Amino acid sequence: MLINTGVPTREQIELRLPSPERRARGPYAMVECFQEIPCNPCSTSCPFDAILPMGDINEIPAIDLDRCTGCGICAGVCPGLAIFIIDESKGDGTASVTIPYEFRPLPEKGEMVRAVNREGDVIGDAVVTRVLLSKKTKTPLVTVRVADEHVHEVRFFNLIDNKTVCDKTSSKIEEEPKTDDTACATDDDEIILCRCEGITLRTIRDLIREGYTTVDEIKRISRAGMGPCQARTCGPLIASEIARMTGQPVAEIQPSAHRAPVKPMPIEFFLGGDSE
Amino acid sequence: MGDRRITDHPILDFDEGEVIHFTFDGKPMEGREGDTIASALHANGVKVLGYHFKTKRPRGFYCAIGNCSACLMIVNGKSNVRTCTAPLLPGMVVETQSDRGVPDDV
Repeated sequence: MLINTGVPTREQIELRLPSPERRARGPYAMVECFQEIPCNPCSTSCPFDAILPMGDINEIPAIDLDRCTGCGICAGVCPGLAIFIIDESKGDGTASVTIPYEFRPLPEKGEMVRAVNREGDVIGDAVVTRVLLSKKTKTPLVTVRVADEHVHEVRFFNLIDNKTVCDKTSSKIEEEPKTDDTACATDDDEIILCRCEGITLRTIRDLIREGYTTVDEIKRISRAGMGPCQARTCGPLIASEIARMTGQPVAEIQPSAHRAPVKPMPIEFFLGGDSE
Repeated sequence: MGDRRITDHPILDFDEGEVIHFTFDGKPMEGREGDTIASALHANGVKVLGYHFKTKRPRGFYCAIGNCSACLMIVNGKSNVRTCTAPLLPGMVVETQSDRGVPDDV
């Protein structure tokens, strides 16, 4: 599900797909923006008014595919890198996907790359057919040619590093040996939840099991949330753990008591007072 | 260790500011004008900024916006300085902190 994995469902994708006639006619923008967020550069930048003006900036962009020419300006301005230009009109068994690619190094025209789907899995090969650099938006647009049947799957690519074998089954990635300095928790329960006081998830879970089911109770008994950051990091984490273990919606878990100041500051600022 | 400063970024341009000299646990280091203390340390390859007062586990960059207090260090003798947001100034003496620091400094 989108909200948990960041990957839209097949139904969500299919609702956005243009008609077969439109897809055969020429390139078009595929706007893979599924959540209402206050963002509108796609609609304000479209020179053909194909991405319709938004009455409310939170609206999900709506596109008039008869006006869309597939120029790619919206793909370059979308801060979420959520717009792709699809061209299925070639009719030779291949189709192209234009991907906003904000990474270094950039591939070169003609380079072979690994085509990656929305889940992040390599699903085949692709050839880079164009690398477009814009001084205005700075987001490089890389067009890759893929097999027809993959055009609605491929949304990213991996460069082929000649020094390593890319086949997952035969490649062996040597992990850096872990020293005490970099040791991380292998057991979920060992995760440090309150970083200031060094309280683990295990301690929090044990307390919830014992019946301490408010953030304030857990704070008073364990000190979680009483360190220098004043629960800015662990407060919401403890609330969500309480919600998960007690089956309550997280919105109903009261946060711990917060008092001024919003940011810790030296007491002398208050003692000194104001000159007026 | 080494210079980990980003010079080629697809979107952002970074102006190379004046060199600022400072020391970290006695070692002379170079930062750039516009750095925070922690960003200058990172550019020098220093990832461990301190150790937890109780568990002695290493602490590094976490929120990087002055919220989480994972980057507290001793700067010019003053403890509990949020190095992720404190600007780097010439001649600063930056030291690793591994205790609660001095309460007066908070």
